[in-house]
Amino acid sequence: MTTGRGGADIVFAMAVSLRDVRMIYRSGTRQVLALDDVNVDFPPGTFSAVMGPSGSGKSTLLHCAAGLDRPTGGVVSIAGTPLGDLDETALTRLRRDRVGFVFQAFNLVSSLSAAQNVALPLRLAGRRPAAGEVTAALGAVGLADRARHRPSELSGGEQQRVAIARALITRPAVVFADEPTGALDTRTSRQVLDLLRALVDEHGQTIVMVTHDPVAAAMADRVLLLADGRLAGELTGADAGAIAARMTMLESAC
Amino acid sequence: MLTRDRLGTFVAVVLSTTIVAAALLLWTSSRPRVPDRFAGLGVVVQSPAATNPAEFFAEPVPWPAATAQELADRLGKLPGVTAVVQDRPFYAQPVRSGRPVPGLTTGYGWSAGAARLVAGTPPTGERDVVVGSDLGVPIGHEVTVLTATGPASWRVTGHVEGSAVLVAGTVAARLQPGVRAIGLGGDPDPAAVRAVVGSAGTVLTGAGRGALEPRADARLRWIGTQVLTATVALAGFACVFLVASTSAFGVNQRRREIGLLRAVGATPRQIRSTLYRSALLVGGVAAALGVLLGAVLALVLDGFLVDARFQPVGFTVHWEPWALAVAFLAGPLVSLLGAAASARRASRIGPLEALRVAEVEDRPMSRSRWIAGLTAAAIGAAAGIYTATAADVTDMAQFALLGAMALIVAAALLAPVVVPLLVRLLLWPVTGITGSLVRESALTGVRRTASTAAPVLLTVAFGVFITGTVQTSTAAYAVRRATTVDTGTVLIPNGTPGLTDAAAPGAPLPTQVYVAGASVAVVGLPTQSPGTALVSPDAAGKFGDSVTLTYADGARETLRITGEAPAGPVPAELVLARDVVRDHDRSALAPAAFTATAATTPGSELVPVATYAERADAEEDRLVWSFTLLLLVMSAGAGALAVANTLLMSTRHRVRDYRVLRLAGATPRQVARTVALESTLVVTIGSLLGGATAMLALLGSAGSLAAQVGAEISVIVPWPLISAIVAACLVLALVASTPSALRARPSR
Repeated sequence: MTTGRGGADIVFAMAVSLRDVRMIYRSGTRQVLALDDVNVDFPPGTFSAVMGPSGSGKSTLLHCAAGLDRPTGGVVSIAGTPLGDLDETALTRLRRDRVGFVFQAFNLVSSLSAAQNVALPLRLAGRRPAAGEVTAALGAVGLADRARHRPSELSGGEQQRVAIARALITRPAVVFADEPTGALDTRTSRQVLDLLRALVDEHGQTIVMVTHDPVAAAMADRVLLLADGRLAGELTGADAGAIAARMTMLESAC
Repeated sequence: MLTRDRLGTFVAVVLSTTIVAAALLLWTSSRPRVPDRFAGLGVVVQSPAATNPAEFFAEPVPWPAATAQELADRLGKLPGVTAVVQDRPFYAQPVRSGRPVPGLTTGYGWSAGAARLVAGTPPTGERDVVVGSDLGVPIGHEVTVLTATGPASWRVTGHVEGSAVLVAGTVAARLQPGVRAIGLGGDPDPAAVRAVVGSAGTVLTGAGRGALEPRADARLRWIGTQVLTATVALAGFACVFLVASTSAFGVNQRRREIGLLRAVGATPRQIRSTLYRSALLVGGVAAALGVLLGAVLALVLDGFLVDARFQPVGFTVHWEPWALAVAFLAGPLVSLLGAAASARRASRIGPLEALRVAEVEDRPMSRSRWIAGLTAAAIGAAAGIYTATAADVTDMAQFALLGAMALIVAAALLAPVVVPLLVRLLLWPVTGITGSLVRESALTGVRRTASTAAPVLLTVAFGVFITGTVQTSTAAYAVRRATTVDTGTVLIPNGTPGLTDAAAPGAPLPTQVYVAGASVAVVGLPTQSPGTALVSPDAAGKFGDSVTLTYADGARETLRITGEAPAGPVPAELVLARDVVRDHDRSALAPAAFTATAATTPGSELVPVATYAERADAEEDRLVWSFTLLLLVMSAGAGALAVANTLLMSTRHRVRDYRVLRLAGATPRQVARTVALESTLVVTIGSLLGGATAMLALLGSAGSLAAQVGAEISVIVPWPLISAIVAACLVLALVASTPSALRARPSR
């Protein structure tokens, strides 16, 4: 645990930092503790995977860290900005400018073409994309020739790559990926994971990915394990087999 | 469970069964009422009915005084008869403080059996009168009474309860020699009465005496029935339309879900029957509630109908079980009809739909939609052409309405063809991301856009068409009236049903005569000589060289036809000498006098021609306009409801889209702006298409009117009223769509 001035410096240096983050869901009289005083930092230029059994709170962690949901207690900071002080509009602006999202369900706007989808965050921010910016972004994910297609005319892998291009167009401090390969077959999963890895290695992009797939997690620099809303361990440089073994242990402990 | 999709159908069916139940109840309650003066006379003999069609409201052919007296004498000898009253209504209107008493326009002969004095003595002398005690004229005082010849002073000899004007029997026999009804007091045997009367008249007993109600009341009830019929037709049409568009929408939105059902083994037939069952169930429950509300509504409307003069005074609701049963059955029926098309479409959804990743639409125009749309357009065009050339006004109105309905259906079906163009045009000036989002969304979902716009289309089209038809034809008739008058000013009645001889000695005097048992409109002109008649060009073929007619007093005469009548301001088939008309109808009143020199007496006023042209049918115009507003409020209400409903549904189904937008970085305000712009776009498209459709239908009516009036007729539409309807639709659309968009959160 870091304290004092030094702690503040570390928070500032982190792409994303969670301090004593607690999340309680209430349904009727029942309370569910989804996150229990979680402390975690995601340094810039790193690729982290978050794993855990179902109900371990990994999606909640991602939602809180990305500013999609507000925690019951604790502080979440993105690029040094504590999110608790921001109202909904300011939070949206921060997400728009500093955070990129990639989801299992792609979440593309079905009526817009690939290029229009990629340009969407910029245009929502009131900016006109510079000439070639969108094409370059699509080119970077290997879809330069699909710019005018609608999501319904693209394969799942292609849609996910459009979503990645969209996530990157604002040059965000961090990209959150929620089961990005969940809806894809092995081959397209591989393509998408290689793409994410390349973004970290070649552009210093920070990526936080929630997954239950050990193969996907093995692509990350480190793997955070979550159980019952608490951090249950961390693996660095482990291969898919080691991760899978660790996961099996965690699940049987539950 | 009522999901929101079903809620749309539910509300539509509740609304329509409410209207149908209320209208049917009021309709069955609209029965002729036995006039008070016959209340104590158990059996009444009426003179033979005129052979005109029923909606002509012709008075029966009167017996001449001698025939009536002879019949009365014979009836008086029957056992059980205690009084014989020859009914002789005539025009008589007391004047108080210089103004004719409103609503008190008919005098009767005194008869001991029919009225009861509360004070004074019965009238016996030439100028004796018994009046209601509420008139405020003490016994022994003089009162001015208007009769068809003019004002005169009468002496009040007695008072009766309520309001009445009663004179001596001999005086009544002179003012109204012809008799149309003979009432029998006591307890005579109707069969015996029938035997005495034979073919000379009709014997009425009990509720059958309702046939004696004033013709004006019968006409009023008929208008009321027309209003109610139109209301039921409109409610039915609007409801089927609403349910159809709502359920088509629901099916469209749930393609994936239905595809999934098909994938797990549901047959198309099962899908269909599921939708039908749901429609039946929702329709049934909604109908039960609707009938209940309808009964309450009928009770509320009861007084309103009398106040608005759609029904005569004394009208009350009767409870007819069958009316409620019919209204109840209408609910599920309407619901089924509305669901039919979409059920058919739903059953054609393939199991593969479930596997589609994104919601994509089929081609905006399917073949069956093209066929149905073009057929409706063809029917609309045919009805429009027929309307424009129709000679008969009643035919015209019916065909114009049919044409308008067909055109509206066609516009709704063919809308996807023009929607892309309209979207591009309307969003031309809108730049920025909001504009592109709305444009792309509307263009990808052309069919969705069209079906969301459909209720607005219906509402606006009906509003423009109904109000436009009424205002255009009112103006057209005023134009026609003005063109037949060549003087600058006109003397018109003020507070009286017409002008007396004293007010307008030479004015055209209309009356009814009977030719071969049928009532014929006649006008008396001072220029015509007795014993001759002119025939109007329209009726030229109906009579030969001479015509034998029965006057209002029962007298018969044969007149020589000497030529064709010139067009005049008072329409009539025959023109007779004015003095002849006055001799045979002592109650005839002139509707207006067209000589600028006419003196002003009580109950008349001098006005410019334009005012006369507007006022001549003011009462009728007022009735029609209240009727129009009633229909308008109903259709606008139903339409607005549908607008809110479809938008609520579409917004809910698109919450995912809004969440995606939020995830892509849109602020709640940006999402709300997008949704608001989209709703505005939809309302605008609906209004434009609806307005254009109605204007098309109106041009047909205007063409027909122009031909009838013989002058250029321009279409008049009360745009402020229409704007208000559009504004209401817009407000509802925004209220229905934006809040749920504002609530769309980026996380699940």
